[in-house]
Amino acid sequence: MTRRWRRWLAGAAALAGALAALVGSPYRRAGAEQAALARGGDPRRPGPGALDVAALVREVAGQDDHVSAVELARWIRAGRPGLRVIDLRTDAEFAAFHIPGAEHVALERLAEAELGRDDTVVLYSEAGVHGGQAWVLLRALGHRRVVFLRGGLHEWLDDVMRPTLAADASPEARAAFEPIAELSRAFGGTPRRLGAAASGSPAARWRGC
Amino acid sequence: MTAPWIDGDTSAAALAIAGATGVAFGATLERAGLGSARKLVGQFYGVDLTVFKVMFTAIVVAMLGAFWLGRLGLLELSRVWVPETWIAPQLIGGLVFGVGMATAGLCPGTSCVAAASGRGDGLAVVAGMLCGVLAVGLGFGRLAGLYEATPRGALTVPGWLGVPYGAVVAAVVAIALAGFHVAERIERRP
Repeated sequence: MTRRWRRWLAGAAALAGALAALVGSPYRRAGAEQAALARGGDPRRPGPGALDVAALVREVAGQDDHVSAVELARWIRAGRPGLRVIDLRTDAEFAAFHIPGAEHVALERLAEAELGRDDTVVLYSEAGVHGGQAWVLLRALGHRRVVFLRGGLHEWLDDVMRPTLAADASPEARAAFEPIAELSRAFGGTPRRLGAAASGSPAARWRGC
Repeated sequence: MTAPWIDGDTSAAALAIAGATGVAFGATLERAGLGSARKLVGQFYGVDLTVFKVMFTAIVVAMLGAFWLGRLGLLELSRVWVPETWIAPQLIGGLVFGVGMATAGLCPGTSCVAAASGRGDGLAVVAGMLCGVLAVGLGFGRLAGLYEATPRGALTVPGWLGVPYGAVVAAVVAIALAGFHVAERIERRP
């Protein structure tokens, strides 16, 4: 490279550098740089308060986002380490009845709840909707081991406290009912056989959220 | 349209671009003569500072390119990866790297260039590098504590010093030009 070319290139670099000091940030949008650095420099990693929508969709599709009432009852009875059952209903509703061992955290105070990273958090509300919404909120806050009770307290009452075996149940259903009835009795429930549907009308089952 | 145009790092297009960039980088190193261990070692004896000049030129070109393309709206910088900083492991790794580079006379990039040119020392350094990668992988259980020590997240010089990007760009260009001038004077010494 000739001496003249080198001088020309050095001058161009000096000019580009000097002008850089006079213009603003190279980031196009305000806050874009802070958001990028908060993600650990990885533009694909969701930052705090952001959601990895694709990952959440996979969890929902794989049914990893929720737990059934019977499964929750088994976790409680087995003393699963780090289990935190969170009741999202009102003070009065919690005082009237709640799942054994549950803690009361009203939905509006969920963001301030002290939840450990290794805790398995189970959220429930009256019928499951607020539980599902709270699941999204906790995932947005970065908690990974969170599930919600699929049908809320209604499912707990129907499937754990008052499980019912229909009169025309198959032999397989009768065999499966035995351990559930035993689990129900452990929680003070009243399993019923040969009865009609004991949980009332569908409207009563899904009232509230 | 704003760069980068490709999302993710495993798509065929991203891998093709990475391959093309790597070949271009290797070709540039070869044309600069950095496939020769004598050239690299010359830097440590102060007789040939080509490595310093080539690498610092690459830094200045990339920096000015990223800054001005971002400033002109042609590159979305928030979508460009900023590597994270771990002070202790990167310091120790840097020292190990430096000792290896001074001993072999080649760095990972130039060793590949030397190997591709058919040089025996380049092939030996590439083989040694792969052995080192394998050893670290096998012993990672013992190194994991060091690997994750002193994390500082994604650090940038402007963020660390609390000064505007443009000021850092101007300062680095000034340091580079001064460095090139001094390097050429050192090389012209009798």
